[in-house]
Amino acid sequence: MLQPDMFQLMTAGDVSVRSCHEESPTVASEKQQQRRQSESEEENPFSFSPQRFHLHRDHELFEDGDIKRHMYLQDLYVSEAEDKPTRSVSEVACHISGCSSVFRTLEEYEYHYNSLHRHVCCSCHRSLPSARLLDIHIQEWHDSLFTILAQREDMYQCLVEGCGQKFRTRKDRKDHLIRIHKYPPDFRFDKPKKDKSRETKTQQQKDATMEVVDDVCESEGVCEVMCNMLSDQPEHEESMETHVSEEEAAGMAKPTKDLPAAAQGSDSTSSAPAKPQYSYRVPPAVCFGHGSVRGFRGRRGRRK
Amino acid sequence: MWRLNKVRHKAGRQGDSLEELRLQRREHERTLRQARRDRQLVSKRLLLNEDEEQQDIIMDTTPGEQDVVSLVHKLQHSGPEKEANLKALSKALQDPSAQLAFVKLENSVHLLVGLLTSSNAQCRLQAVRCLHELSHSPHKNVAPACLPATSYLLTYLSGPSTKFTELCLYTLGNICPDSDVVKEKLLAQGIIPALATCMENQRHNLAVVEAVGFTLSQLLQTKDAAEKIIPMVLASTLSSNLLSVLTPDPEFGLAPAIECAWCLHYLTCSSEDNRELLSRGALVQCSSLLVSLGRAVAEGNKDEGLELLVCPVLRCAGNLLSSCPVEDLSTQVGDVHLVVALCGLVQAYLHTQPALAREAAWVLNNLTAHSSEFCSALLTLNLVPRLLQLLPFSQGINTMILRILANIAHKKQEFCVQLTQLGLLSALCATLKMAEQEMVTLSLDVLFMLVVSSPQVAAEFVYQGGLSLLEAFQYNGEGERRRRATYLLEQHLLSY
Repeated sequence: MLQPDMFQLMTAGDVSVRSCHEESPTVASEKQQQRRQSESEEENPFSFSPQRFHLHRDHELFEDGDIKRHMYLQDLYVSEAEDKPTRSVSEVACHISGCSSVFRTLEEYEYHYNSLHRHVCCSCHRSLPSARLLDIHIQEWHDSLFTILAQREDMYQCLVEGCGQKFRTRKDRKDHLIRIHKYPPDFRFDKPKKDKSRETKTQQQKDATMEVVDDVCESEGVCEVMCNMLSDQPEHEESMETHVSEEEAAGMAKPTKDLPAAAQGSDSTSSAPAKPQYSYRVPPAVCFGHGSVRGFRGRRGRRK
Repeated sequence: MWRLNKVRHKAGRQGDSLEELRLQRREHERTLRQARRDRQLVSKRLLLNEDEEQQDIIMDTTPGEQDVVSLVHKLQHSGPEKEANLKALSKALQDPSAQLAFVKLENSVHLLVGLLTSSNAQCRLQAVRCLHELSHSPHKNVAPACLPATSYLLTYLSGPSTKFTELCLYTLGNICPDSDVVKEKLLAQGIIPALATCMENQRHNLAVVEAVGFTLSQLLQTKDAAEKIIPMVLASTLSSNLLSVLTPDPEFGLAPAIECAWCLHYLTCSSEDNRELLSRGALVQCSSLLVSLGRAVAEGNKDEGLELLVCPVLRCAGNLLSSCPVEDLSTQVGDVHLVVALCGLVQAYLHTQPALAREAAWVLNNLTAHSSEFCSALLTLNLVPRLLQLLPFSQGINTMILRILANIAHKKQEFCVQLTQLGLLSALCATLKMAEQEMVTLSLDVLFMLVVSSPQVAAEFVYQGGLSLLEAFQYNGEGERRRRATYLLEQHLLSY
């Protein structure tokens, strides 16, 4: 099988030719270029550009053909295909970090994914890769009690199972994960939201939670938007923000605008007071997978 | 329509069972693969003597070393039965141990050289046959022993007898890769001009052309060919003559075209600047030949050995395309239906010879990378659905096909929309789940191009359930994919 980086040879002519070509584009491709170039200001990670490959004689791609050629020269050529059927279909792999399962068919993969990785948060419909991370997610993002307690105690659990340590802020936890558990620093944790209040939030969020490891609130942006879609309440969005900003404020000097006041009000709207906390795990539709089952275990109780 | 001359088949010599033959062949293949990895893949060709029955060869159980010695003695003493003795000697020399014994004898080769220049035509013929057997020896020391004869062999290239010339050529071709010393000597003796003249004069004699092609290909595969040999070849008439033989003759068969195509491959792959060949119309030739070959294969042409020609022609086209200036592409390629031929070749060889299918896909990539015209052709000639069907197959085919689709998407916004209408989005939902890393990253790149092209595409992707797919990527162990998925989600898809 080809290795990803096997095509390394590129003609020098190719590079210059490419730029010539781009100098005289049609209107449509000009627009295309602009559209893509405007992306670059926002750290566009996409890097594809068409490439021609010049292959040298000893290239791996040429092996089979060379062998056939020499078999022919040595009078060993046979026209009928050799016995082994050579068709091979690409395998499907689970890409969740830490899971290295590989499957022959899409069906097998779907089954695997739905049973093991589809722990859906029923508030924000965010999918988390494990039950534990879902628990932590719900606790940290959809539990107002947590927010309150977090102001007084170390509430942020280390995400690594078995570690047991807790931290006062997300940042501390992030540092711990990077330093002790060797998580990659660029593993996105929290993202700035893309909307009006982004500019102010961004800085705080970045400082406190940017590039923290793992998933739990990686979904924050998506989470809020999903909630937005579902609940149809703009304030709901704000209340999520509030959670964030309060926690950030704990560690930072910068205040946020009018949110603290709104927080109290929205808090009650976001968490329907009549319902116990654990019911957030219960979706309107039936949930398959571990998430919904665990929602009814004793652990949920303490959240009340 | 096109034959492959299968006169020379070693299988006949031993009379083994079919299963044994298959095992032997597989063993051979393993040896060849290892040799290629060691950069020592070299082959020799044996021109069977058509006068002799195959039976004779089997029944005359190898005479052995003793006979060789006695034959040499006889020949050295100028007996009247020189011809007969020579003939016997050439038969005896079919045996490798006899070959070894022969070269160990003092002055044995000089004896042959003397006979090579005799006034008797039959003697000359038999002498060169002996040399030919020696040149084909598996023992490393034997073939270089023929060195004293080379200058004569070169001279005889312009001789009248076809059979004789062929033997000279194959003998030369067999010994030149054996050692640097031999190669240097041959170059000094002017083998390249001699081959050029021979081919020029005997252009219509396809058996000779095939032999010249073989010998040249041997030279072109040697270690420093790029510096020492290729410039000479390009400067001579050889390259144009090679091109002119590229289209196979229906009568004679594929073999000469095969040899010339391999020579052209060695020429084009050794340098990234193929201006010389491009100016002589190499790409024009290769393209039109590929169109004919593609048509033949698509029509189910079961001609034996067609892939032996398809392979080197594909490679020439691929490498020529990579160095052809983009503005000349249309004129150099000529027929836009080359894309049809290439797609057809990929599909035809997909299951039987996936490596060849992959090479065809590589050529298609090089063709479409910088050309809106050919990308457009893929769309208008309705080839995209066929390409989409190829995406599940591994062994490098899917990545190349996806690159081709990416080439199309990269050109224009309308192309992106058309690709989406043809089902690329749902195909991507599957390729995003593949095990091969490169496929996944490429899929994300293509997805980005499609999503950016129009809001409808982005909405369609969300409608197809793409969001959860991308969300899963945010937990991916690999940073590049995490970043891409996150970027797509945040910047482009969240508003849907």
